[in-house]
This record gives sequence, C-alpha cells and structure tokens, in this order.
Amino acid sequence: MNSCWRFVTISFLSCLGVVDGGFELAAAPSSSRLVAGFEKKIVTVEVTGTAYDFFQPWSRSVKSIQKTGVALRPGELLATAEGFPDHTQIRLQKDGRGKWWLGKLKWVDYHSNLAVVDAQDPAFWDDMKAAVLAPKATPAGALHVLKWRSGNLESRRADLTQFTVRDANLSWVNHLNLEIDTELDGPGLGEVLISGDRVLGIVSSKSGNKVLAIPSSFILPVVEANRKGNYRGLGYFDFVWQPGSNPASLQYLGVPVDAKGVLVIDVPSEPGKTPVLKPKDVLLSVDGFDVDTEGDYIDPDYGHLMLENLATRKHWAGDVIKLKIWREGKVMEVGYPLPKVEYSSELVPEGGFDKPPEYVIAGGLIFQPLDMNLLKAWGENWERRVPFRLGYYRNEKKLTDRPSRVVLTQVLPDAYNLGYQESRYLVVDKVNGITVSRLQDLKAALEKPKGGAHLLEFARGDGLQRIVLDASQMAAATQRVLRLYRVSSPQVIH
Amino acid sequence: MFLGKRLEFLWVGFHFPRVKPFLMFGLACWCLAAAAAEPEKSVIQIMTAGQQPVWDAPWRSESVRRGSGTGFVISGKRIMTNAHVVSWARQILVRRYQDPKPYIAQVSFIAHDCDLAILTVGDDSFFEGLEALPLGPLPKVRSTVVTYGYPAGGEQISYTRGVVSRIEVQSYVHIGNRSMLVVQTDAAINPGNSGGPVIQEDQVVGVAFQGAGGLENTGYFIPTRVIQHFLTDIADGTYHGFPQAGVRMVSLQNPAYRKYLRVPSNGGARIDGILNIPSTQAVIKPDDVLLKVGAYDVASDGTVLFEGNRVGASVAFQEAQHGEKVPLHIWRDGAPLQTEVTVYVYQEDKTTGNQYDVLPRYYIHGGLVFTPLSHEYLKTFGRNWSDSANNEIIYELYYRKSESPTTARKEPVVLANVLAHPVNSNVGIKTRALVNRINGKRIEGLEDVVAAFESNTKDQHIIEFLPDNSFECLDRVAAKQAMPEILKSYGVAEDRRL
Repeated sequence: MNSCWRFVTISFLSCLGVVDGGFELAAAPSSSRLVAGFEKKIVTVEVTGTAYDFFQPWSRSVKSIQKTGVALRPGELLATAEGFPDHTQIRLQKDGRGKWWLGKLKWVDYHSNLAVVDAQDPAFWDDMKAAVLAPKATPAGALHVLKWRSGNLESRRADLTQFTVRDANLSWVNHLNLEIDTELDGPGLGEVLISGDRVLGIVSSKSGNKVLAIPSSFILPVVEANRKGNYRGLGYFDFVWQPGSNPASLQYLGVPVDAKGVLVIDVPSEPGKTPVLKPKDVLLSVDGFDVDTEGDYIDPDYGHLMLENLATRKHWAGDVIKLKIWREGKVMEVGYPLPKVEYSSELVPEGGFDKPPEYVIAGGLIFQPLDMNLLKAWGENWERRVPFRLGYYRNEKKLTDRPSRVVLTQVLPDAYNLGYQESRYLVVDKVNGITVSRLQDLKAALEKPKGGAHLLEFARGDGLQRIVLDASQMAAATQRVLRLYRVSSPQVIH
Repeated sequence: MFLGKRLEFLWVGFHFPRVKPFLMFGLACWCLAAAAAEPEKSVIQIMTAGQQPVWDAPWRSESVRRGSGTGFVISGKRIMTNAHVVSWARQILVRRYQDPKPYIAQVSFIAHDCDLAILTVGDDSFFEGLEALPLGPLPKVRSTVVTYGYPAGGEQISYTRGVVSRIEVQSYVHIGNRSMLVVQTDAAINPGNSGGPVIQEDQVVGVAFQGAGGLENTGYFIPTRVIQHFLTDIADGTYHGFPQAGVRMVSLQNPAYRKYLRVPSNGGARIDGILNIPSTQAVIKPDDVLLKVGAYDVASDGTVLFEGNRVGASVAFQEAQHGEKVPLHIWRDGAPLQTEVTVYVYQEDKTTGNQYDVLPRYYIHGGLVFTPLSHEYLKTFGRNWSDSANNEIIYELYYRKSESPTTARKEPVVLANVLAHPVNSNVGIKTRALVNRINGKRIEGLEDVVAAFESNTKDQHIIEFLPDNSFECLDRVAAKQAMPEILKSYGVAEDRRL
C-alpha cells in the first residue's frame, strides 16, 4: 500500500554543498588510501536457501546469492534482508578469498530490508574491525561503493543524485533512500556506501547506473532498537492525500488561499475505530514540520522530503505524532497514532517469508492463498502478465468478513475432475455454502458436503462460476493425483 | 496486464487503412482464364478516403487516410463488402472490372457486428452488364474455394485458391466483442481482399474479411449463413443486428455435476451465468441445462452439430432475428422443460467494442474535457493501452457491469484532457481520471456532467474522481468566462457534442 497520492521523487538536493563534483575513473579500483581499513570491515555473505515455484507450490529448488555485509561490532554483520527469506545456510568470507565461515542470522526485519548476521565461530571476529555508521547520511567528501570482487576490495566512485523517499524493497513502507549514480558492477545487494571512514548506507537496489542505498540514519535506530530488544516495528501514514496547490480547492475548503499543506482525501475505516483524520482535512504540519502544498517538508538533515518520511524519522509504530490540520474553518492539533506496517493489512499481502507456500490439493484442484508471491510468479513484468482480474484484487480493500482470498490456481488432470481441467485462477467465494477467505476455511468447508457433493462457487469475474465434485470420491482422487504427479503432501497450511 | 483472450485477439490485423502488420506471405495467384461464369466481372474495387475522430480530443479528426478493399454485386443493384472497408469513409469510389472509370458510392446499410455493408451507386450505368453473384451454401471442409479481390501488391484483380480448413465460431475483429461463425481457409487473404467474394462452383460462399497475424496460410471469410441473416435483417429497411441470449454456457462433462443436476442423457451444457437481460432472465436460470436450442441438440461441451461442423451453440441463437423467439429444451430441477426465449440485440456492451461512424460525445467546461469511457478512448493510450491504463478504468469498463451491476454507472465518464488555461492551471489531476461526482452529483453519464456544471450556483465547481476521492475545484465564474477564449485557442467549434 502506498498512502501517498502522488508518485514524484524529491528534487535534487543541490543545496547540500557536500556532494563531491569530482570524477574518478569508475572502472578502476580506487587507491588503497580511500578504502584503507575497510578490508577488515567488509565481508562477502553467501546465502543459500529454498526457492519455491508458486505454480507448483510443493516444488522446491535451491537458490544461492552472494552479497555484501559490513561489520558493526563483534557479532554483528549488517546486510540487507534480501536473500535471507527461507535460507538454509549462511557462509561468510573475509578478505574476499579463502576460508568460508558458517554464519547465523541474528535478526532480520523485512520491512526495513535489514538483517544482522553473526559467525558461528567466534574466531571469525579475531581480526575484524567495526565500521562506523554515520548518524547523518550526508557525504563529507567523495562517495564510494565497496564490495569484494575476485579477491580485491573494489571501490567505485559514486555521485549523490538525491535523497528520496521510496517504498522499501520488501515492503510498501516509505522511508528515506540515498539515490546515487555509479558504475557499480554488482547485483545491488548490500554493497557498502562510504564517505571518508564512515558508512553512509548499504545498497538495496540497482537499475543501470542508478543505485538506491538505505541511509545510515535510517539503519542506526533500527539496529539500536534491535540491540536493546525494544524494536516496535516501522510505522506509516495510512491516509491518502493530494497536493494542496489548487487555490480554488482551498477556497472551497475555506482555507486561506496562501495556506500551505495537502488535502486529505481518503482515510481507512476500521469497525469500532474513529479515524483521527477526515477526508477534506487540510494537513498543515506533521511532527512539528510544516508541510508544503506538494506534500514536502524541509528536513533539517536532507532538505525537501516527502512527508511520508516523517513516519519513520525518529518514530516507531505506536508513537503518537502531532498533526496540525485545518478542519471546518479552524486550525487544530490532533494526535495520530502510527499504525504498524504489517504484511497482513492488505487483502493481497506481501511477505510470506521463511515458510513454504501454502496450498491444498483436493481431487486434483490446487488451491492457494492470493498473495503477492503468487502474483509475482508471473515473473518479470508480472503486473502486465498476470490475469487482469486476479491482479485487480490488489486494488480492493481488506474487509472484516473477507480478510483474504483463496484461488483455484490450476487442476491436475484426473478422471475425477474431468470437465474442469482447464479451470484456473478462479477466486473462491464459497464452498458448500461456507465463505472461504483462507485455506483453513476451505478445508473446513470440504468437511461439510451437501447431498454427497461439494459445491464450489467462485467470485464473479470473467471465469467459471460454479463446479460440483463428488464428495465420496475426493479423498481417493486426491491420493491418486498425488501419486501420479509426485506431490509429497496434499496440503501445506500454516 | 493480461486481459483475457477476447481482448488479446485485437491485434489481429485489420485490412483497411488501419494496418495489416503481416504482409504478402505466399501470395499465390491463379488466373482463372476458363471460369465459366466470369464472376470477376461482378467483383468491384473499392477505394476510400476515411477520417476517424480522435477519441481523447473528440472535436478533432485524424488526417485523411486512403484505403482500398473489394466488393461484389448482389441482387438489387447493390454491392456487398465489409463494414471495415467503408467505416469512417468520407468518400467511397468504386470501379468495375477492367474499367478505369470511378463511380461514387454510398453506404446503404452497415453492420459492424458482422462486418458487412451494402453500397449503392447513384449512377445506374455502373451496373450495366454486371450480374449479381448468387449466394451459395456453407462450403464443406476440405473443399476448394477461390477468393477474388484487389489486394495490395498490384493493381489488377487477384485470385487465390485454397481449401476450407475449418468452420467454427470465432471473434469478429472489426467489432472486437462479438464472436460468430467463420470459415478458415488457406487461400491467401491479404489487405485489400476484404469484402471480396469467396467463390465455389460459381456461387459466393463467403466474404473475405480477416486474417490472423503470426499464422501462415490462415485467412477467414464470413459464411453465407451470416450474410443471409444480414440481408434478411435489412429487408425492412433497418438493420438491427445479431441478437444474443446473453447466457454463459459451459461444458457439463463432470459426472458429479451431471448427477447433482440429475441429467439423464449425455448431452446438454450448463448455464453458468446470465447477463442482465430481463427477457432471458425470465426464462433461463443458472444451472439450467440447455439440451436443445432451436433445431440443434446441444452437446455436453456446449457445441452443436451445424451442417456437419461442431461449433459453439451461440450460432443457434444467432440464427434468429432481433425480437424473435428461439425454442429451448431445458433440464431444470431434475425435469425437462420446453420453453422459448425472445432474443434481442444486446447494446449494453457497445462501449467495450470498437465503435464506428458515430462521433464521440464530449463536454468541455473550464478547459476540462469530459468524455464517456470507452474501448476507443482506451486505445488512445497506445498500442499497449492495457499496460498504461490504470486498473480502475479497465475494471470500470469491462468488469463492473457484470460483477456489480448495482454500483455500475450507465455511462462512466473520464476527464480525457485538460485544455491548459490560467483558469485550470492549478488543477493537479491532468487526464485519464474516472469522474465520481461533480458538485455533489453522482455522474452516471455525460448529460449529468453538463447538468452538474450548469446548475451549480456556488463559487466553485467541485470535481471528484475515483478511486481515491481526489478532487479538484474550479472557480465557477472564471471557468465560464474563460470558455470562449479556450475554445478559440484550441480551435474547438463547440463546447459539447451530446
């Protein structure tokens, strides 16, 4: 979910005056002076894990990636969280060569895309040194991106393009990012961004020369909170706003035309809860920062940033943030409790990490939860390739009586399911008259056939509406299908 | 995003001016020097100058495009051709076989659902010496046919021979959202062949009309069963169209479902869904099993045996004319039932198909251009329009009416364009937004937009959009005062076409 109405990036922060305008041959490793000391602070992290084919959710394969980690102190190697879901082994390599040390995950937070790893053998730390995360991610000199490559610590020159507020890689939460331009020759997995002897961030994604890094000022509080064991998770703004730059709209709302701020247009409603904000409120300031008509505030460290950043700047989920609003002709202050970023808050949730995909096979019909893992199974450009109606569920809201959906994804052909074998991607509405939101509902409903038959009803759309199956034959058919298609288990339900 | 087979099929090439991306594959020609009846004398070359509207700037027209196609003489001094050959035509010229003289022709009837049209020529001398080509039966699969026409690649008439490959129900690309009987042949059918006769034993057995991009030796022609339906329809001077029952028929081959419905025989297909058509809903119910439609027994896979060909049972409904009754044998609640359903032409999905010959409606206020949401409008987003259009618009146009008829609007309206002017310079939402309310009035159609603006007496107009309830305001007085200048600046003759 993105609670921001607009999708613009924050303007280039030219006023910082700290961006080094120099240029260094990017392809050449930099001088040892520049990266002095980092050889003992940066390691290669190899993560091996289980990959799933969401079109055959019982099928598993092995995946392995190499990424970069940076030592924060003995027992703590910081890396991005990507690659760690469903891992089976972690290995660490110092100095870009030689022995691989077994590692273990100390903690991971997929929403912030951060993880901390330790070595299983304490001797790993004997000659390691701790890197220092800069409290402010503003460069104090030239920027470089570091990673081990073929036994050498490779350094690539980088130029800061802008500070920008974007979705996290593994979550829809918005937070501060450093956007840099570099010819980094790597996957964009945790490479370390330094300025002088300080770490300014770790790389989270790469597209051509455009690289995004998670800034140290975002990382530090998350690490500190995890160290203390009081990490409460990231918060976010769940309301939708639009720019307040149309004077006629301000006039309509009775706001002075020279007023700043943005217009709240949509507020999620939960039964039993009165939302703090109302549609057509004008949001004037957030956490003490004035909001301009474009939805930006002036951050004391990074300049103009989108207001969404204020949900993660020095705040956690559950904190109450002061909002100044214009409502019905007067200015008022309200306290806004930051909701916690949860994958389960969406009808089609992200996540599902560290557990095998759920499914149920009944009489050859494969049922799976409708989640982002399933949609992303369509591969690159999945948003274009996924059947429209299935993908459109992302636009629908989670309801109390319908918190999630189950999909008949395909049918493994058997005499039992003759006539339905081309059925696929049908969203289940009811089974035997019982509403189905989760696989557990489906299982329970299949225990209650009617007149010896199972009646399956699907949500209205462009596909089949109903099918009927012989209840007495389902168990035998399921076993036959499992044997024929070599599926080890008829179901995985968490 | 993938919108399903029906829409995916739209890429199949058009013949007339639009394009035919695949060209000139294996243009095999045989000259029929010894053809007994010399049908080529009755084959007409058609040249058009066409001009289509711009759907997101509906007061404008695209540049004039030249097109060419084929037709043939039928009884009553008429020329039959494809609708797509003459759609949007500003001028139609016709030429006789080996006669350089052009004659001006007019569209007498046009049927976009079955892609057929009838032309007449003001100058009667055009038809002198020309014989009407007789219509024949549905050809047999594997039998030989010859196409006559004026395809690209030369000036003179061309003949191509092929066999009838198969006969089935397929999408008619010209309208885009209708499927009817087609005959597939391996005779080369290329741009320019459209509207030309497909001949077997001196009789017309079809009208060449479309191809399939990416496939070789695959052309399609409209069989005479469809042509005759069209001719019967227009006999009273009005074209109505092919009626639809509006049912979604699915196979009924699973033994458990057959047992559940207590169907005794092997035949019959199940009704899985019904469109919001009262005449049908009064007669047919979900889970009815259709055993027979008209004279045709319905098989368990939803097909009927149609002159020896297994084709979709929809053809049985399409044999009826608009407003006629179709006899039905139904199995319902464990018992047989004989009844009949009156079928009508279904117009409710008009905006989801390609539209022709009627200029798009619009209304401009304060430089904001409003137009009904339509498939034609979405096509203005470009070739991959389904990727660039927002999901809400696609859902609204193609899904909401069938999924949620109570929340559907009769004619969803979009903000199609903003004609930049100081009065709207601060409007943040530029285009492609679905209109929810204007000045508090829920917008069910373009007329509501007009009424909402023109009846407002407050200082601002408030325009609310979907899905997030974003809104924009216009100063009422300033917006009205700016209109003459806006219309003049952008060369718009009228602020509305309703």
